[in-house]
Amino acid sequence: MTALWIKGLVSRRRTRLAGTALGVAVCVALLASVGTFLSATTGQMTKRAAARVAVDWQLALRPGTSAASALIEVRRTRGLQQVLPVGYADTTGLGAATGGGSQQTGPGKVLGIPAGYARAFPGQVRTLAGRGSGVLIAQQTAANLHAAPGDTITIGRRGRAAAKVRVDGVVDLPAADSLFQRVGAPVGAQPQAPPDNVVLLPAPTFARLLGAGAQTQLHIKLSHALPRTPGAAFTDVSGRGRNLETRLAGGGLVGDNLGTALDQAREDALYASLLFLFLGLPGAVIAGLVTASLAALGGEQRRRDAALLRTRGATTRQLVRLAGAEAAASGLTGVALGLGTALVVGQLAFGSATFGGTTLSAVVWGAGSALAGLAAAVAAIVVPGWRDARSLTVAGQRRGAGRDHGRRRTALALLALAGSGLVFWQASRNGYNLVLAPEGVPQVSVNWYALLAPALGWLGTGLLVHELAQAILQRGGAVRRLIRPVAGPLSGVVASSLRRRRGALAAGVTLLALTAAFGASTAVFNSTYKAQAEVDARLTNGADVTVVDSSGTRTAVPRVAGMGAVEPLQHRFAYVGADLQDLYGVRPATITAAGKLQNSWFAGGTAAELMGKLAARADSLLVSEETVKDFQLHPGDLLRLRLNGRTVPFHYAGVAREFPTAPKDSFLVANASYIARATGSKAIGTFLVQTDGTAPKTVAHRLRARLGTTAKVSDVDEQRRVIGSNLTAVELSGLTRVELGFALVLAVAASGLALGVGFRERRRTFVLVAALGARPRQLGAFVWSESLYVTLGGIVLGAAIAAALSLMLVKILTGVFDPPPDVLTVPWGYLFAVVAVAGGAVGAAGSLTLRALRRPQPEELRAR
Amino acid sequence: MTAADSLVRCAGAGRTFGETVALQPTDLEVAAGERLALVGPSGSGKSTLLALMAGLDDPTVGQVSWPAIGDRRALRPTAVAVVFQGPSLLPPLTVAENVALPLLLADVAASEVADRVATALETVGLTGEADRLPEEISGGQLQRAAVARALATDVQLILADEPTGQLDSATAAAVIDALLSTSAALVVATHDPLVADRFERRIMIRDGRVSQAVSA
Repeated sequence: MTALWIKGLVSRRRTRLAGTALGVAVCVALLASVGTFLSATTGQMTKRAAARVAVDWQLALRPGTSAASALIEVRRTRGLQQVLPVGYADTTGLGAATGGGSQQTGPGKVLGIPAGYARAFPGQVRTLAGRGSGVLIAQQTAANLHAAPGDTITIGRRGRAAAKVRVDGVVDLPAADSLFQRVGAPVGAQPQAPPDNVVLLPAPTFARLLGAGAQTQLHIKLSHALPRTPGAAFTDVSGRGRNLETRLAGGGLVGDNLGTALDQAREDALYASLLFLFLGLPGAVIAGLVTASLAALGGEQRRRDAALLRTRGATTRQLVRLAGAEAAASGLTGVALGLGTALVVGQLAFGSATFGGTTLSAVVWGAGSALAGLAAAVAAIVVPGWRDARSLTVAGQRRGAGRDHGRRRTALALLALAGSGLVFWQASRNGYNLVLAPEGVPQVSVNWYALLAPALGWLGTGLLVHELAQAILQRGGAVRRLIRPVAGPLSGVVASSLRRRRGALAAGVTLLALTAAFGASTAVFNSTYKAQAEVDARLTNGADVTVVDSSGTRTAVPRVAGMGAVEPLQHRFAYVGADLQDLYGVRPATITAAGKLQNSWFAGGTAAELMGKLAARADSLLVSEETVKDFQLHPGDLLRLRLNGRTVPFHYAGVAREFPTAPKDSFLVANASYIARATGSKAIGTFLVQTDGTAPKTVAHRLRARLGTTAKVSDVDEQRRVIGSNLTAVELSGLTRVELGFALVLAVAASGLALGVGFRERRRTFVLVAALGARPRQLGAFVWSESLYVTLGGIVLGAAIAAALSLMLVKILTGVFDPPPDVLTVPWGYLFAVVAVAGGAVGAAGSLTLRALRRPQPEELRAR
Repeated sequence: MTAADSLVRCAGAGRTFGETVALQPTDLEVAAGERLALVGPSGSGKSTLLALMAGLDDPTVGQVSWPAIGDRRALRPTAVAVVFQGPSLLPPLTVAENVALPLLLADVAASEVADRVATALETVGLTGEADRLPEEISGGQLQRAAVARALATDVQLILADEPTGQLDSATAAAVIDALLSTSAALVVATHDPLVADRFERRIMIRDGRVSQAVSA
């Protein structure tokens, strides 16, 4: 009997089966694709985090600990690949007699580098000029000394005569922060900046010149065959580090650079999971709803079939079994289609044709997605079938479930929205810290409570849209006016028809609204993220091209072809109390435009307003929020900064959160003219160069050729590449690409497919209208009015939800934005595409329905 | 009756569905005001012939024409009304709206629509059910509402397919009374001899073949 039933369904209810199968396929494909995303993400995060580390561990030996005995313990460490001893010594100062003058620097650091170091740790030293081995000096040191390869410099030694060495090369030390870290010291006790004056000597030379009293660090390279997830890799690496420290019994401390990078990746991995919750889960739920909605379109016919079977003696169990067979047929077809699609999507978007990082997670994601798809089919077909089958009378089954829970739904919607607003307000007050990673606490956790805001928001808006769509239909006059352009004289009777089908139509409007909101909010989030990445690139680099003068004496940059305006940005260091901070001297009249300053970079006023405050009073000073808090500042307060050995008075005028080229915290912004007057130096430090349209990298290249090693030239293109390759950026773009693609598919399913299947299921009604003499235009009044209401209602209400959700999403996921956006970036192109795709699908569904009604078959009139 | 007076004329019109012959080539004409019963058991071809006469289907052999009406496009909703076998009301519309629908399709003025609907419902005894939905009335009332819909349009020819198929004898009689109350030509397909007996002209159909024409 079951086989016969399925055969009948395949031949007579093909559209319904295919519609449900397609819905299941989208649901399964979306979930499995997200599984692929998470799998690819976490694996890539671990790999990328490890690859960025120049030296995995820096083992600082305590005085008196023998390097040889420490080496024995280190070599017993699991996964050890390379270990080399590096000498660290202080110099009282470096000197050079070059270019007809002599230069002398302050204290610095000298390192003893063993042979093979550059090969073992290629990310640590980058050669800029001369040779990559021998006596090397850092770029800043070379600028300070005006020294170049071939020059002789002196290394000051405490209590001994200075040593002379000949420079073989000038190098950049990309990982200088970790190279010169104070191993074992907490974050707050680390040096604020790496030393400016650095010399790298070959180990034998180092031993000869500075061996006595020098400290030794063992630089260690570990195998990067780590556990796949950042969390597991972090636990593994940090555990091995602590194990080594234990074995050394206090003889050394491990500076765990690899662990630190993995710790950061752990936070990123949590964000990736949250992105799944925010961007993936709503999509999967909506796909499930679309499936249920498509399956439910055949509900009336199913109830009639069940009623007939019941009159012929079918038991409840038999009816449920038949419903189960239909759910299985459409569900399994959808699962196969969905998993296949997910494999293709995963390969194209993430380069991974598996649903999980490990066999277990692949099985869990694959089977979980399949089960979710089958559950959607069962919930939409079997559950109502079982409920109907339990009704005792055929008439009862034909009537269907018609109880109205409108008021209860409205109350629930309002409660959910109120709850969402409350949680959002509470969490926003605390800066919406979704991922909690307190300094010094090893555990990273998620503020799950804050997630209630969007969850309740989705629920509340969904229910409210449903009730609103029903309420509008209940008001016949408004609907009549809306559909008059397409229904003409039939608008009254068509409006009546719509009013009595308001439950189904409201469900259609809700589904399309939620789908549109999902697609639009994801797109807005994605565009805003991209826009902020661009802002971040500009903020970090400062301008199209930025020239940082290593000598600190330059007052202008030479003109090269392609250069536009040049904005000088004084860069000094100043002490606020005992705190050394970067001080930027600006020209208030021009910096707003030249630096493309954003309002969100400042507090207590717009960028223009705060620059106005600087212009109005020469000694005005903008400080960071941290400084305001630490020093309990109030507007107008006097601040005395120690600047180039002098005490210079300033007045606190406002807060700067971000500034071009400035570090994240602890920086100051003041008038350049005031700083020059107070310090007696007009030296600039940094030049923000805008191009005349020429590619920034071209202008940067020309400037590098002119300036040599005396200045550091960077361009925004390069910065964009660096930011674009960040973990979140890379994975987010992949996820949103998939999400946006699925949103389009869902828009088609929720609009055209749902309407098309619905029309097909009610075909006899349309055939009857045609048989009564309706002309194509009059038939179109029924088809297009319904289409218009669902599409227009769905798109308009969806846009409203999307606006609210986008704001909430961007606010909640503030952690992935750096800096936070001023305004949302709306991707009009994509939004128009969603509307066009939905409109096109509805148009196609309506046209096909009407085309099929041109000559209805007489037997369709007799069919029940 | 001249050929030009015929409302519908079947000239050797037959219909096959694949290998199955539903209706052998048949000659038949219906004049204005004529009352005709197509009588035969289930599956004999009555509904097929009615569908051809209503222009809802095309013959596979022969021709069907409507000399006094015009071409197929002129048939519905103004010249020919069809009462379908089984429930044929639109579920989301009330009884009155269902009856009004063909009038609205024919662009009849709204004020006239209300009058004609009221009259038609009164004729079939459904005035009190005007605002009820199809699912809220009985099978007999559904069938009477379908008849009212045919009567309201003031057509020249009414084609009714088993209009009393699922009704008790009293309700069946009321439905036939209502159909016979109009001046339009009427063709009723039925397997019920009691219904057939109400018609002057009866045509027997068996296995797709018009086997016998009987006049009372």
